[in-house]
Amino acid sequence: MKKHIVQNLGFLFIFLCLLTTLFFLGTIIYFVFTRGAQAISWDFLTKAPRNAMTEGGVAPVIVGTLYLTLGSMLFAVPLGLACAIYICEYSPKSLVVNIIRISINNLAGVPSVVFGLFGLAVFVNFLGFGVSIVSGSLSLGILALPLIISSSQEALVAVPHSIREASLSLGASKWETIKRIVLPTALPGILTGVILSVGRVAGETAPILFTAAAFYKRGYPRSIFSEVMALPYHIYALMTEGAHPDKQRVIAYGCSLVLLFLVLFISGFAIFLRQRQRSLHG
Amino acid sequence: MKRLAILMSTAIIGLSAAVTPCFAEKIVMTGSTTVLPIAQKTAEVFMDENPGMDISVRGGGSSVGITALIDGTCDIADSSRPIKEVEIQKADANGRDPVAHIVALDGIAVVINKSNPISKLSKKQVKDIFIGKISDWSQLGGTPGKIVVVSRDTSSGTFEAFGELVMEKEKVIPAALMQASNQAVAQIVSQTPQAIGYVGLGFMSSDLKAVEIDGVMPSKDTVLSGKYSVTRPLFMYSNGKPQGAVKEYLDFVKSKKGQELVETQGYVGLK
Repeated sequence: MKKHIVQNLGFLFIFLCLLTTLFFLGTIIYFVFTRGAQAISWDFLTKAPRNAMTEGGVAPVIVGTLYLTLGSMLFAVPLGLACAIYICEYSPKSLVVNIIRISINNLAGVPSVVFGLFGLAVFVNFLGFGVSIVSGSLSLGILALPLIISSSQEALVAVPHSIREASLSLGASKWETIKRIVLPTALPGILTGVILSVGRVAGETAPILFTAAAFYKRGYPRSIFSEVMALPYHIYALMTEGAHPDKQRVIAYGCSLVLLFLVLFISGFAIFLRQRQRSLHG
Repeated sequence: MKRLAILMSTAIIGLSAAVTPCFAEKIVMTGSTTVLPIAQKTAEVFMDENPGMDISVRGGGSSVGITALIDGTCDIADSSRPIKEVEIQKADANGRDPVAHIVALDGIAVVINKSNPISKLSKKQVKDIFIGKISDWSQLGGTPGKIVVVSRDTSSGTFEAFGELVMEKEKVIPAALMQASNQAVAQIVSQTPQAIGYVGLGFMSSDLKAVEIDGVMPSKDTVLSGKYSVTRPLFMYSNGKPQGAVKEYLDFVKSKKGQELVETQGYVGLK
């Protein structure tokens, strides 16, 4: 009997923890929605900022975020995938691989502002890309690398050995096996990881603070070497700079709402992919 | 999966097509958060009139702007203080030649919370508050309460100008809250009943209360006439004599139309 009570109390406690978490998620969405909804309109999503950032929309800002995110993925996905394939398929199980693995995990723990400073020192100044989409994308890409590597690794490890062996026994080379058998099987898992890191990258402020973001630009970026406005930084800039805080605050909440929905949408897509993968293989 | 691959490659092709450089005249401007609203507004209107121009505007603080100009990472540095001797030497060593352009006048308003009954202070009293000699509002005849000193951070030109005009180079007390922008100072002061801070005239709003300094209220008129003593010019620095797009833009800022825009942002235009 006593056991039962303890167990029930335990369950109750866990359930309360869950409720608290959901409560926070709910309040965040409610808060951002009630404050930001009044700013959202078709013009807000399709027009450029006007009249000292107090009117008009944030279209160039949204586009800037999309460019930075796409750019970072162009850099991080091939590199991360190659790393994961090497670690899982080619590397001998040895001390060196373990060190590489630990290093990658450590890279995941580096605070994002450090990536920003690194980007400023290396991409902006040393390589001379200046404050630009390239510098920002590369900084964000490095931030996304460990996420992509570890999720790709998981997806590759999950491919059963028997499939690999079957392919090899039919005379396929190792590379053919990886290309034709292992990668297609692991693809949904890899994509899930990629999409989740897209969500992460789209919302990061610190890495682009010094490397890509501008307070104001007119219209869309004209080259990959131009500065760009991006949603997370735009929110920060509207709240801290400029001379019309009242009007800017509304736009900042509008931007938060757009960013929130962008990231929720991306994560939702990842969850959809994972579900589909489960129903196919499970 | 194939569809996804097609989707991704279209996105990639779309991206590379969109980022093909097209040859627009480009100006990168960075620096003082005080000058930022002027820079932003004038750049906006200037680009409306000259669609070929591509100006990007960033904040950061006067020192950040001047450093960027010295390093060659920006074309125009916004600054709310004159360039320092050390910076000129550094620029020389880098083969850069900063040239000052005064674009507006600005009063630094000493601001307090709206609920604070104090309405006048002498310059000496303001200084004593910021160096920590006066630490309670009751010492000034106000409602008793510890004074919360809000200052700008050291990379701010407003901080430097305030240091020169009011503090006479003495140090702000370490307990002061150092903020990175005018708006941050305004926000804290408007939300904290015991706070005192200072912001450029352009950042005055109905949420803040400006105090009379030595009997003079900061306003466009008192700044322009020189009656209000905590007044400084605002600068844009170009590298060498301005040329091409930079010249066109700076000429526009200094023109009658540009100065009207300066006024709409709450600053004092040059007459």
